[in-house]
Amino acid sequence: MIRYWPALVSVWLSLGAIAGYFAFLRVPAVRNRPELYLVAFALAALIAGVASWRAARWPNLAALALSAVLLVLGGYFNFVLARVPATATTFKIGEPAPDFTLPDATGAPVSLASFRDRTPVVLVFYRGYW
Amino acid sequence: MLTELGDAGVQILGISPDPNERSQELAERLRARYRFLADRDLAVTRRYGLVHVGGGSKGQDVPRPTTVVVDRRGIVRWLALADSFQVRPDPKAVARAVRALSP
Repeated sequence: MIRYWPALVSVWLSLGAIAGYFAFLRVPAVRNRPELYLVAFALAALIAGVASWRAARWPNLAALALSAVLLVLGGYFNFVLARVPATATTFKIGEPAPDFTLPDATGAPVSLASFRDRTPVVLVFYRGYW
Repeated sequence: MLTELGDAGVQILGISPDPNERSQELAERLRARYRFLADRDLAVTRRYGLVHVGGGSKGQDVPRPTTVVVDRRGIVRWLALADSFQVRPDPKAVARAVRALSP
């Protein structure tokens, strides 16, 4: 088993990157650098690739297959699925925010203008559960 | 964001197409000082120019994740637009933007 330590390191790195990403999802330094998991997958593929080249045995090849699949899936997610096209906003810094009225969780209408002269407002547009 | 902004005297309004009951669940789970506003048909999101056309998991339109700081006079003072839905602004940066507003 000890001969296969590069394969073990590779698998550990791949799975550790996934676990680490989700474990630290609430830490902005991790969450806002999604390319970190891609670096880990690439490193894992490199280690497994070198190990497979030196000894084409199933543990090395399996580690290579796992890390390569994760690299492709992760890359697709990061560079294609998660991309949000840059479209022009209708408002600018230094200009008035468009007013609106929307119902809150109790159904009561809330308007942006009602906070005027009272308190600053942070608007958080989010995707929800879709 | 909530702990950083909790004492700053600021109202956080979360805006999403979610039905209110889902948002309420989320608020309770996070024990947040959020008020969740339901923009069911994305009318307000569209007025802000923040619709990601066809960006949902079923190809529906969804909001582009965005954080906007509005001062007491209703003027936009700070803006964080994501180019990936994995990315959110650092709550500390939002808190700094709020504290930088003139009283």
